[in-house]
This record gives sequence, structure tokens and C-alpha cells, in this order.
Amino acid sequence: MKGKLIDLVLVLGGLLMIAPLVWLVVTALSEPIDAFQLPPRWIPRPPTLENFQQVPDLIPFARMAWNSLQIAVITTAGALLTSALAAYAFNRLRFPGRDHIFSVLLAALVVPVQLTVVPIFIMMRWLNLVDTTVAIWLPALVNVFGIFFLRQYIASIPRELDEAAIMDGAGHFWILFRVILPLARPGLTALGIFVFEASWNNFFWPYIFLSSPEKMTLPVGLVALQGAMGGGPAVVLFAAITLVVLPILVLFLIFQRSFIASIASTGLRA
Amino acid sequence: MTAVAERARVQQATAKQRRDWLPGYLFISPAVLLFLVFVALPLVAAFGLSLFHWDLLSTPEFAGLDNFRRLVTDGDTIRAVVNTFVFAISSVVTHIGLGMVLALGVHRTMTRGTKYFVRTAYFFPFLISWAAVALIWKYVLDPAFGLANYYLSSTTNWLASPTWALPTLIVVDWWHTIGYTFIILLAGLQTVPAQLHEAARVDGANAWWRFWSVTLPVMSPTIFFATVITFIGAFQIFDPMVIMTQGGPDGATRSIVMYTYEKGFQSFEVGYAAALSLVLFVVIMVVTGLQFRLSRRWVHQ
Repeated sequence: MKGKLIDLVLVLGGLLMIAPLVWLVVTALSEPIDAFQLPPRWIPRPPTLENFQQVPDLIPFARMAWNSLQIAVITTAGALLTSALAAYAFNRLRFPGRDHIFSVLLAALVVPVQLTVVPIFIMMRWLNLVDTTVAIWLPALVNVFGIFFLRQYIASIPRELDEAAIMDGAGHFWILFRVILPLARPGLTALGIFVFEASWNNFFWPYIFLSSPEKMTLPVGLVALQGAMGGGPAVVLFAAITLVVLPILVLFLIFQRSFIASIASTGLRA
Repeated sequence: MTAVAERARVQQATAKQRRDWLPGYLFISPAVLLFLVFVALPLVAAFGLSLFHWDLLSTPEFAGLDNFRRLVTDGDTIRAVVNTFVFAISSVVTHIGLGMVLALGVHRTMTRGTKYFVRTAYFFPFLISWAAVALIWKYVLDPAFGLANYYLSSTTNWLASPTWALPTLIVVDWWHTIGYTFIILLAGLQTVPAQLHEAARVDGANAWWRFWSVTLPVMSPTIFFATVITFIGAFQIFDPMVIMTQGGPDGATRSIVMYTYEKGFQSFEVGYAAALSLVLFVVIMVVTGLQFRLSRRWVHQ
């Protein structure tokens, strides 16, 4: 009885959590006249895609989606690569200064991006890279947390495996890519999901560096759309937000386990 | 073993070790080079910039400690620091408190379907970009046609009220990130050995006592970690302020990062912006340092 009551409270709370999202989707599917009526209509009648068709008239949505995707893919692939190389060296290879260099990298985890953004902006301006996607992904190619995380992961892989490969005359590249990384796949996946998600959703950095609509990522584009609309139809904005949120929901429902494992194992908050 | 053989063995060993040097440096070089350019250099540059007056166009002018003197006398800075602490501390209390309640609730035996729904519903908002979250909530909170006022039978203009704007953003932030805290705490809860609970039950401990004497101590590292991460994350808050309130009304929701942004990228007082960002840096460093020290003393290992 008591258990049932707790379940009921949790489910009601859950419904309250998703209510704004349901309202978002229902409004996006409503005729402009029906939208934003009070009491709110929780079922659109009849659902229409009209608002979605108007999104490209107001912002270059496809272009922005492409920018977001491009930046997220380059950032994820690049950060995984630089982190895996460094993590392998820090765990498996011996060279002078190794532990000192690693400590310095680790200490830099406390440096917030909001501190480095001002000097990096000046640097990018000097390089003529402000308002380009390069300014977004280039600084994100080094991920100190990723190095730390993968180093821990690689440390848990038995050394006998690479020692056997060394006996066979294998080089370190071969060992890393053929022996270590295949075994580190769960760690790479967790880190990859985390880096991709953080890049895809990032607002702070692109908001500062990107100003032309055709260079913007989706989060910045949405905010620009809202600012530029003035008295324009809010339903179109709702349609655009839905287009951003829905794919993540679908991906999440498919890969829920990996997503949650990624958060629980990396312990990181975007 | 003879001395000669011993020396040969040592030489061989060092030669074998030296073979690692080149690949070692080679493998760390991409990360280290990027680190030097995009972390180390900007960090040093931020300290340097904070000693200058500069508008990005004219020649920088050496200012000594002017910018730091201005920090402690500028009412807007003090307001932003206070706002940020209020936001971060409220965020920690509500995230850890309610996150713990949620985790305990979900950890009980539940039907699969219920568990799936509850976990998904509380976790999913965490995956949405702040940009989308802030825009959705701006409309939910709209005084004329928003859901919030309709269901609360209120006429408050939440985001325009000097009293309510900051608490409202704390609620929106809770909605957005509770899923993270919840998952971390749930993972921690799952590490509490069932035998300990069983033993306490046999000793006649009631549910509350078992929570205090078994669950909390075993979970203390997780709770501690979640507290620090939540605080640091909340202390860097920027997105909802810039999208929903522009720091207003009248600075009531201006955070340190929001103010740094205004100074650095809107009024182009780059030196002052650098000094402001150093405040953020120092607070984060102190909190991380405290984490290291206190976790050794308080936290059950």
C-alpha cells in the first residue's frame, strides 16, 4: 500500500517533468490559431506540419544542423584520438617527465572555459577564425578529462596482452589500435557519447564565436530565431525546437543503456 | 651473476626503456600541443590581461591592480558574486536532497514499466541543450499564455520579478539537470551491499536508522562527488541568464559568467573581464581543493 503510494507520487512527478515537452510538441503540431490557448489543449486537432514547413523560411535550419553535426563529429573523433594516444603513453610507456606532465594536465581540470574564452577569442580574432566552425572544434580537440578517463580504463587492461604483441615485434601504434582500443570499447563509447552530447548541446562557446546565421549551430540558431522573430509566429519556433529535441529523444530511447552508463561511468556533467 | 653480466643486463634494460621515449613523446604530443595553445597559454594570458585596460582596438594600457580594485568596489560585481553563490548553493541543496529522495524511491522494487518511465522522465531533460530548455521555459512561464500561471492560478511575471526571477531560474535549472544527479546517486545506491541492510534489520534497526547508519555512510563518496560537481557546474551558470532574463530584472539574475560576458564581449573591457573570470577560477580551485582535503577526512572509504 505504502509502496503503491510512492510509485504514484513518482509517476505523477514524472508526468510533471515531461509536461513542458509534451506541450512543446503538441503546440508545434497545432494550427497557429489553436496554439497557446488556455486551458492548454494536450491533443492537437487536427495535427498539422505547417509550422515545420515554415522553419526554413526563418532560419537556415538544415545548414545549422549540418554545422552542429560537423562540429560534434570532428570534436568527438579528434578528442577520442588525441586522448587515446596520450592515455596509452601515460599508462604503458616510460619516458622522462611522464608523471609530471600528467599531473600538470590533470591540475588544469580546474581551469574553467569561461576563463580561457577571452584570450582564445583574441587569439582566434588574430588568426581570422572568429565566426568559423574551426573556432569551435579546434580548442575542443584536447580533452583532459578524456585522457584521464581512458588512462584509467587502459590501466585495467592486462599488460600480458601487449607484452605478447611486443614479443611478436608489433609497434606501439599497432598495439594501441589492434589490441588496446578494441578492449577499451566500452570506455571509448562512454566517453564518445559524453563528448558528442556536450558538443551538440554546447551554447556558450558557439554563442560567443559565431554570428552569421549560416555558420551557427542549432542551439545558437534557435536563440537567434527567437530574438529575430519579434511578433512572428511562436509556433514556428516551437516547431524548430521540436526538430532539435526529437532526434535526441529517439536516440536516447534506442541507446538508453549506453547513455546512462556513460553518465554513471564518466561522472561528468556537461 | 658476474659484474660484467650484471652491467650488460642493466644496459639492455635501459636501452629497452629508451625505446619507449620517442613513441611516448610522439603519442602525447597532439594532446600536449593543443593543451599548451588552448589551456596553458590562455590561462597565463588571462592573468596578463587582467593587469591591462584594453578595448580590443586601441593599444592596451597597463593598469596595475586597477581591475582588481574595481572588483571589490563595483556593486554589479558584488551582486553577481552573491547571485552566483545563491544559485549554486540552492542548486546543490535541491539537487542532492530531491535527487536522493528520487533515487531511494526508484531503487525500491517497482514494476519494470514504472521504473522505465520514471527513470526516462526525470533523466531526459538533461540531454536537451540549455538553449532549447531556456526557450521552452520562457514560454511555459509567459504571464499571458504560459502553462505555469494557468495551472498555478497566478498572475506573477516570474522572469520580470526581482524577487522571483532567480528562484525561477533555480527551478528551471533543477528541471534540466536533476536527471544527472539522480543517475549518479542511483548508481551509488546500487553499490550499498544488501547484506549490510539485512544485518541491520536483524539487529532491529528501523528504515530510518538503516538509512542513517548504512546507506548514508556507504554512499558518502558519491554524495560528496555529486555535491562538488553540482556546485562547480552551477557556479558557471550562464545560458539561462543570457537567454531568459539577460541578467535582469536590474541585475537580479546576473551571474559571474554573465557579467564577464557583458564586460568582455559587449562593452569590450577585456582586462576587467579577465579579472572577473579569475574570480570564477579561484572559487572553483578552492572548492576542488576542499574536496580533496575533506574527502580524506569525512568520507567513508
